[in-house]
Amino acid sequence: MSESQIIVCRCEEITLKEIKETIEHFKCSSREVKLRTRAGMGPCGGRTCRSMIDQLVAELGGPQITNEVPLSFRPPVRPVSFGLLGGETT
Amino acid sequence: MNLMRVYHHPILGNLKKQKKVKIYFDNQQYEAFEGDTIASALLASGVRVLRLHEDNGTPRGIYCNIGHCFECRVRVNGKNTVRACLTPVENDMRIESGIFLHKT
Repeated sequence: MSESQIIVCRCEEITLKEIKETIEHFKCSSREVKLRTRAGMGPCGGRTCRSMIDQLVAELGGPQITNEVPLSFRPPVRPVSFGLLGGETT
Repeated sequence: MNLMRVYHHPILGNLKKQKKVKIYFDNQQYEAFEGDTIASALLASGVRVLRLHEDNGTPRGIYCNIGHCFECRVRVNGKNTVRACLTPVENDMRIESGIFLHKT
């Protein structure tokens, strides 16, 4: 299976090839990979691919994984609709 | 017609008589059992594609089935981003699949 067929971020449909090329070209952190490719910015909030992106960046010479999470978790922790935040009850 | 419904399970035994409900997926009527999730009811009816990816139109269906990945998101009674794998069916529920947004 080629890297262009392996999907890392399913929400935004970003392939392993795209992520590897971004890391190699820009020598960037996982946060920058996220901002450049949108991997980790879909409806699941990066819960499926975050650790894979961190690991790919670390493997390809980027910043090593530390206890400080490079791809930040921000509130709300679970995806919530604007309607719900605005007081919608159903 | 429940193509993929398990009626006779080697360990759990036979499926007891269930109360039937009607659901609509993309305007087509399907039969479901009370207590089914949208995802299980549609899978039992042989529907494996719940939506198409917005950008590329590639088919998506159940992936994690525990509400984690949002791959099975559908529109239910006009409400967007409802996870089919966590939402129990209700009679006359109208479910719509996600669509491919053509690039302009």
